[in-house]
Amino acid sequence: MSDALLLFLPLVVPAAAAVLGLVLRTCKGPQAIVGVLGSAGLLVVGLMLVARTDAVGVIATQSGLWPAPFGISLVADRLAAAMVAVAGLVALAGSIYAWRDLADDKLGPQFVPLMQFLMLGVQGSFLTGDLFNLYVWFEVMLVASFVLLTLGNQRQQLEGALKYVVLNILASSLFLIGAGLIYAKLGTLNMADVAVRLAHPEQTDLVRTSGVLLIAAFGLKAGLFPLFFWLPSSYHTPRPVVSAIFAGLLTKVGVYALMRTSTLTFAAKAPVLLELIYVIALLTMVCGVLGAAAHFDMRRILSFHIVSQIGYIILGLAMMTPIAIAGSIFYTLHHIVLKTNLFFLSGVVNHIRGTNDLARLGGLAKAFPGIATLFFISAFSLAGIPPLSGFWAKMAIVLAGMDLRAWGAVGIALGTGVLTLFSMTKIWAEVFWKSAPEDANTTDNRSGLWPMLIPCVAFVGITIGLGIWGGHVFAFAERAAEQLLNPREYIEAVLGPDAITGEVPGAGRVRP
Amino acid sequence: MNMLIAFTVGVLFATGVFCLLRRCLMRLIIGLVLLGQAANLLVFSAGGVKTGVPSLIPEGSMTPPPGAADPLPQALVLTAIVIGFGLTVFAITLIHRARATSGNDDVDAFNETDRL
Amino acid sequence: MTLFWPVLLIAFASLLAAFVRLPGQWKALWAVFPGAAFAWVVLSWPAVVGEGELMASIAWFEQLGATVDLRLDAYGGLMAGLVTGVGTLIIVYAAGYMEGQPGGSRLISMLLIFMAAMLGIVIADNLVLLFVFWELTSITSYLLVGFNHEKEDARKKALQALLVTGTGGLALLAGMVLLALEAGSWQISEILQRGDLVTASPYLPGIIVLILLGAFTKSAQFPFHFWLPNAMAAPTPVSAFLHSATMVKAGVFILGRFSPIFNGSEWWHGPVVVAGLVTLLVGAILGLFQTDLKKILAYTTLAVLGMLTMLIGFGSDLALKSMLVFLIGHALYKAALFMVAGGIDHGTGTRDVWKLGGLSAVMPFTMVAGALAAFSKAGFPPFLGFIGKEYVYKTGTSLDTLAPIFTGAMLLGNMLIFALALKVGWYPFWSKGKEAMLEGHPHEGGWMMWLPPLVLAVLGLVFGFIPVWTGDTLVLPALSEITGKSMHEHLALWHGITLPLILSLVTFVGGVLFYRAREFFWRKHDRVESSPKVEHAYDRLLVGMVKFAKRQTQAIQGGSLSRYMFIVVGATALLLLWKFVRFDGWPELTWEGRLAPIPVIACIWTMVGAIVAAVAKRRLIALLAMGVVGLGITVLFVNFGAPDLAITQLLVDGLTVVLLLLVIYRLPPIKAEANRWIIRADAALSVFFGMLIAALTLSAMQLHVVERVGETLAQMSYAEAYGRNVVNVILVDFRALDTFGEIIVLAIAAIGVTALLAASKERSSDED
Repeated sequence: MSDALLLFLPLVVPAAAAVLGLVLRTCKGPQAIVGVLGSAGLLVVGLMLVARTDAVGVIATQSGLWPAPFGISLVADRLAAAMVAVAGLVALAGSIYAWRDLADDKLGPQFVPLMQFLMLGVQGSFLTGDLFNLYVWFEVMLVASFVLLTLGNQRQQLEGALKYVVLNILASSLFLIGAGLIYAKLGTLNMADVAVRLAHPEQTDLVRTSGVLLIAAFGLKAGLFPLFFWLPSSYHTPRPVVSAIFAGLLTKVGVYALMRTSTLTFAAKAPVLLELIYVIALLTMVCGVLGAAAHFDMRRILSFHIVSQIGYIILGLAMMTPIAIAGSIFYTLHHIVLKTNLFFLSGVVNHIRGTNDLARLGGLAKAFPGIATLFFISAFSLAGIPPLSGFWAKMAIVLAGMDLRAWGAVGIALGTGVLTLFSMTKIWAEVFWKSAPEDANTTDNRSGLWPMLIPCVAFVGITIGLGIWGGHVFAFAERAAEQLLNPREYIEAVLGPDAITGEVPGAGRVRP
Repeated sequence: MNMLIAFTVGVLFATGVFCLLRRCLMRLIIGLVLLGQAANLLVFSAGGVKTGVPSLIPEGSMTPPPGAADPLPQALVLTAIVIGFGLTVFAITLIHRARATSGNDDVDAFNETDRL
Repeated sequence: MTLFWPVLLIAFASLLAAFVRLPGQWKALWAVFPGAAFAWVVLSWPAVVGEGELMASIAWFEQLGATVDLRLDAYGGLMAGLVTGVGTLIIVYAAGYMEGQPGGSRLISMLLIFMAAMLGIVIADNLVLLFVFWELTSITSYLLVGFNHEKEDARKKALQALLVTGTGGLALLAGMVLLALEAGSWQISEILQRGDLVTASPYLPGIIVLILLGAFTKSAQFPFHFWLPNAMAAPTPVSAFLHSATMVKAGVFILGRFSPIFNGSEWWHGPVVVAGLVTLLVGAILGLFQTDLKKILAYTTLAVLGMLTMLIGFGSDLALKSMLVFLIGHALYKAALFMVAGGIDHGTGTRDVWKLGGLSAVMPFTMVAGALAAFSKAGFPPFLGFIGKEYVYKTGTSLDTLAPIFTGAMLLGNMLIFALALKVGWYPFWSKGKEAMLEGHPHEGGWMMWLPPLVLAVLGLVFGFIPVWTGDTLVLPALSEITGKSMHEHLALWHGITLPLILSLVTFVGGVLFYRAREFFWRKHDRVESSPKVEHAYDRLLVGMVKFAKRQTQAIQGGSLSRYMFIVVGATALLLLWKFVRFDGWPELTWEGRLAPIPVIACIWTMVGAIVAAVAKRRLIALLAMGVVGLGITVLFVNFGAPDLAITQLLVDGLTVVLLLLVIYRLPPIKAEANRWIIRADAALSVFFGMLIAALTLSAMQLHVVERVGETLAQMSYAEAYGRNVVNVILVDFRALDTFGEIIVLAIAAIGVTALLAASKERSSDED
């Protein structure tokens, strides 16, 4: 399959599936099947992309065949390919998980097309090589998420959505300004070209501004301190499958954007921004986990954990050493799968008992030992217990921090780990271990659990697999990190082999 | 001239942000619209507001007249305007519905999702 | 290669036991698996003692330092033997204990997986691997202590154990990473060779402190001791296994393992000895007041752990030898006594000393086991416990510094342990029976409940009887391993009339006196329980942390959108300010560009409109002002050469105004905010932000021209894309992907709006 096709399919497939889904909106069954097939297609293409980029390096194609940087480039390096594949996996899992809700009319006929549109925005964001195009795909993803958030029209959803919408529109404006300023300063929007033009020494000043604005914009999307408020306000309100996909995927697009733009633009030229990100990451970890310790509803706790774990990933990014970036990438991949799964499981609990409130739940270990095991494994992977995947991810970050003699960061990272353990055992003890309170709803709804459980089991399998055989995945992450830290390969793939005239500084940080 | 435009952009941002900081729902809407317009104007001006010659290629020529405006920021802003419109319309509808379901006029009263 | 299979075998057995339910007593069959592992240890022993070690290795997560390196040396092998040997008997016991109760398979399965993890700790040769098993023991311990999870008490205590050992575990991880970085290797056997690199490192204190934190939390040294008595909430087989013979020994084990490196550093000796000493005394003294058999045993375990730690802290060859003898003895008698206590509980329904007595008639075998184990613990000759005590006193009296104090502490501790041993293993059987209990028809449990403790207790006697064999086969090889030298001095029962012997006699006398005074101390139980303790600090810490978390979350994430906006805008403004002040400086205020009337008017018109829109009190006026702003911007677009843009802006602006007009009277009227200070703060922030953006715009506009993509696109527009309106060509050709996305955004927005409105129609029709 040609590279161009491989790069365009992740855009074409969800778009086609979305349109088909719209056409079929009155037939529930076929529409659901379209959703599953579209997502499966995404996964397959993603895996092919991973295989190709792992073999070849970076692949790129130009939209409309206009030579870069005059058109819009689509680029895939190992990181982008891995993200495409994992996004496809999440989409597939979500499509299967949503089967019951779709059949019961709890999601409405717009769910399938909107999910596919959301995936379109996500894949576009991963694969684009143009800064403004990134903005457009962000907006596609954003609007789709707005609508998905409000599907169902419950009062809580609308309230949460309001905060989500307003804050994210602000972030979009900041992104737009940042992109516009980059064009004003450098005269191009193609990210590879930006990196090349930045290589000339005089061009630093406005890059810092744009860097700041992009950090603010992507930071809000990713859920960094102090811009994360919209997340715990809204993520727990929609139907569980929507929560799960948002939790696993959407914040990671912001993280990806930060990784891409920082390594291509300001990491080398304005390392002070990295120190800013470093501090922000630490604050994010702490605020997130404190929020989790404070709340008593499954999904609210898990939402705060998203924020906290993003802190870890961004800490790795800020440290900018090979093992730190590899750790961030591994953490991202592990976390997408894990977080989605935890939300899936909370949806299962909700389905069985009708609530996610810890005070009204209980006794599920006895009633559903299998589900309890699934949750136990996932929860303790999040807390970083070996040999599950969460431990290796945290270990990479800790190791990177130790290498840099960043004792404070390591201490905070480990301390946050203890608090994460605390809040996950809280959920475990309240939902599964303790007996159900007397006034609780004790008639368990056992019907229709299978489509919800299949993705859960698969994801737990992946978590365990990543824990035991994750060495290979980590090696892949290291190769991906190598590409990020040395933009030369990326630039040459987009602009051609003789594009680089001056020195392109590597993004990496020198160890003390 | 540049200063005046920069100042205008600043005023637009200031008023937009001020409205977004308010608790009244109607002002939120005004704020969203103003903010969008401010961002668009900024991108447009950053792209260069030195000339009034549009980037149109006249008959008989292969290129636009010298000193024509940079067409790329214009295209960007155009896209941004349309996208912003979509977002604004959705936001207005959302605000309307949120108000209808909760009966509140005050945004700060929408705090159930954050309550401990 | 054979090194891998014991752990895997037991883990596999655990998995099987979770799914395959054997009926009743047949559950004891699961003991075959750990039994096989024990046999393997025994069979490998000659090779280990002869050649020094067995090793195996597979790659795992090498980038993070993790290789599956396994090593069976004499020290680890000794522990492995204890773990698997005692473990086999525990499984049999558990089958008997749980007979007739639900959850037997679950208990055995979890005990087995714990066993596998514990075995892993002692044969791991890689630091990360060690940590993996370490945390696994914490987790399985959590599940086991919380076995009766419906009780809130069990849940709370399980969590306590997990948090204390988990936090210590993370400290251990940090310490081990530092150790590996300084020694240049992750393999323990290699690190042991490179001790000088480590001791010369500036991070040595840090490494030691962190590793000590890990070991102390796991082995319940003061002030981390409080979780151990609380862990008695677990079923007795769990207590017998984890909290006496295995898990709590893990900390002591690694202290011994690392002592060759750290022996000699002042950071090591001081803290270790002090912690051990305090724990010994705290455990022994508090144990006096306990009235629950299991609690008594828990506190004596604490005391012994303290003793072992103290001995490692002393660090001399003699001390380490004593430590090993004591370790073996303790494992044997403690597990036995726990099982006896469990048997008593099972047979009478109570563990309260006030209610127990006279059971020797009813439970003969248990009585024998209890007596033998108690005598070993108390230190009667010729039991192994006696030999242990002798060597401990020998160590104490031959110390260089403060020998009287340490020896005195040991003396006191041993006296109390003597008394406590009798309270559990002698008193329930031989003291006068209590009426209430005898009426409840106490009975002995089946052979599965008295045979295991009997075996262990008898072993304690046998090993003591043949000290030379015990020493040469079990103790000396392990000792050689941790001291790094070849040790040959035989173990002996009788050394002649020495100071240690006299001290043992004193111990005997003192112990009997304390035993006699038992009821005096028991009566003070309640008062002691309610006195201040370290545990209260833990509780308060936990509660305080949650309170802090709630307050912090409430403050930051209170639910108010306007506050969130304020923080977000404020943060962005501060970032921009920082950038200006720290780096680039402010743009110059120069009058560039000609001032033409139209754009000037348009600018002023726009600004006025914006301000009116922001402050107007009536909806209609605000709306019209918005329209005015749009118009102004349109004029600016026209003026600066963007006709297409102007058209679009006009259309969109018009549509927005029309839409709002339609909706406006359904939206609430504009209300002013009551709080003037908030309005002022918001206004200030907005103005500040606006000025920063204005400065930003100005500096952007002042940039010198570089080669721009847009210019090239203008050149290409007709020649290659066949279009004369460059902006159009960009939109539909060069950047068609953008336009594609833009259209999709509109489509999605449309879907969203219809969905929202459809719902509102449904709702209003429902209400009708």
